[in-house]
Parts: sequence; C-alpha cells; structure tokens
Amino acid sequence: MTESDQHITCQEVVELVTDYLERALDADEASLFEEHLNFCDGCITYVEQMRVTVEAVGQIGETDVPADTREKLLTAFRDWQHA
Amino acid sequence: MIAYKFLRPDRTSLFTDFAWPAPGTWVEASIEPCRSGIHACRVSDLPYWAGHQLYEVELDGELVEQSTKVVASRARLVRRLEAWEDLHDVYTRMCADRGHELARSAAPPLHDWEAVIEPSIPEGPALLGFVAARIAEAIAGPPAYRTERARQTDWLAERLGL
Repeated sequence: MTESDQHITCQEVVELVTDYLERALDADEASLFEEHLNFCDGCITYVEQMRVTVEAVGQIGETDVPADTREKLLTAFRDWQHA
Repeated sequence: MIAYKFLRPDRTSLFTDFAWPAPGTWVEASIEPCRSGIHACRVSDLPYWAGHQLYEVELDGELVEQSTKVVASRARLVRRLEAWEDLHDVYTRMCADRGHELARSAAPPLHDWEAVIEPSIPEGPALLGFVAARIAEAIAGPPAYRTERARQTDWLAERLGL
C-alpha cells in the first residue's frame, strides 16, 4: 500500500487521511502516518483541516439540506455514476 | 518498564492534546495501539518521535510493543530530561551534517537531497533525522534507513546517558 514499509510520503498522507481519521488504518500503518506528522507541519495542517471538515459534514443531517439542493446533488451523483 | 515520551512545552501530547499531570501522578487508558493507550518510546524509538521536551516515563499494566513504540495501559511521568533541550539543536545539526556527508558520498552525489537539508533545519530534529535516514536509503536501500536510525539512537543514548 505504501511506497516503503519504513515511512510514508506526503502524497500517501493525502491518500490515507480519511482512513486515518476513521481509524481504519491498522496499527503499523497508523504508526507510520503519525511518524510522518511528527515532522511535517504541512501534513499536520492538512490532516487538521480534514478533521474539521469531516466533523462539520458529520453534523449535517439529511433534513438540513434544502430540497432543491438535495435533488441537484442526487442528479449530479447519478450523472457521475453513469459517466 | 522505563520508557520515554516527547511532549510539548505545556506538557501536552502531540496527537491527542492530552495534558499530562506533573511527574508522579499515574494515568490510565485502555490499550488499542494508535487509537488509545499511553504511547511511549523505547530508547531505539527516540529518533522517530523527537519533539520539544523529553520525559522519562514509568509504564505499568498491560504493554504492547510495536516496531517504533510501546503502548501501555498505565503510566506516570518520572522526570523531565532537561539534557535533551540542550541537545535539541546539536542533534539537529548532527543529522544535517550527516545528511550532507551521505549525499556527497553518493555516486553521483545526491544534489536534490542535499538542497533540502539546510532549509529544513528550522523544522527541527525529527525532520532532519528523517532526511538523513532517507538519504541513506536512497544510496543503499531500505536496510540503510534502519541502520541510519540506529546510528541516531546511539548518538542520543550516549549523550542522554540512557
């Protein structure tokens, strides 16, 4: 999954961030992820931004989305799936 | 078990923001590596987690050892290793110099790697240790990465008296 079993790159942090935040990485992967964060301020900022985004999106209920917006999103997703 | 932990100057953990009590007070947590539990370094793990302030910690209860850390269900800070604060910049410089030495020794020299060393120094010891190990890996493959990390461990252990 990673370029090396000894460390991960900034690109791999981007690829793995969702799994990290959802605690879906296994212990070794999570350890490599955090080793990287320990020295990479850019990735710390990125992960923190993603954490805030995920938390904010997680607080939006289906009923909070206006009906017309909901229909546009569903149409967009249907079109995207057929593309 | 005696282990070590890097904390911010306000005695909080980098990944959890947990505020550690003063040395002597026990802290408990259920174990799930990288998710919960008290994470600490063996001496050989220090280069991977180098940070602001270094504490000696006593671990107790359930222990899980991993490749670059140990996780415990119970721990207390024992003392701050103030010597690390004096060594922080010296170690960073040592790693930078080692990176230059390795990059220049390669055939052909690794100019791209060398160019990142000096600009990286303000980021501190964890990054410079990583850069030196990555240069070693670029020259001699993945085993050289671990060898360089072991060299950094020896440097730290000797100067910290561990």
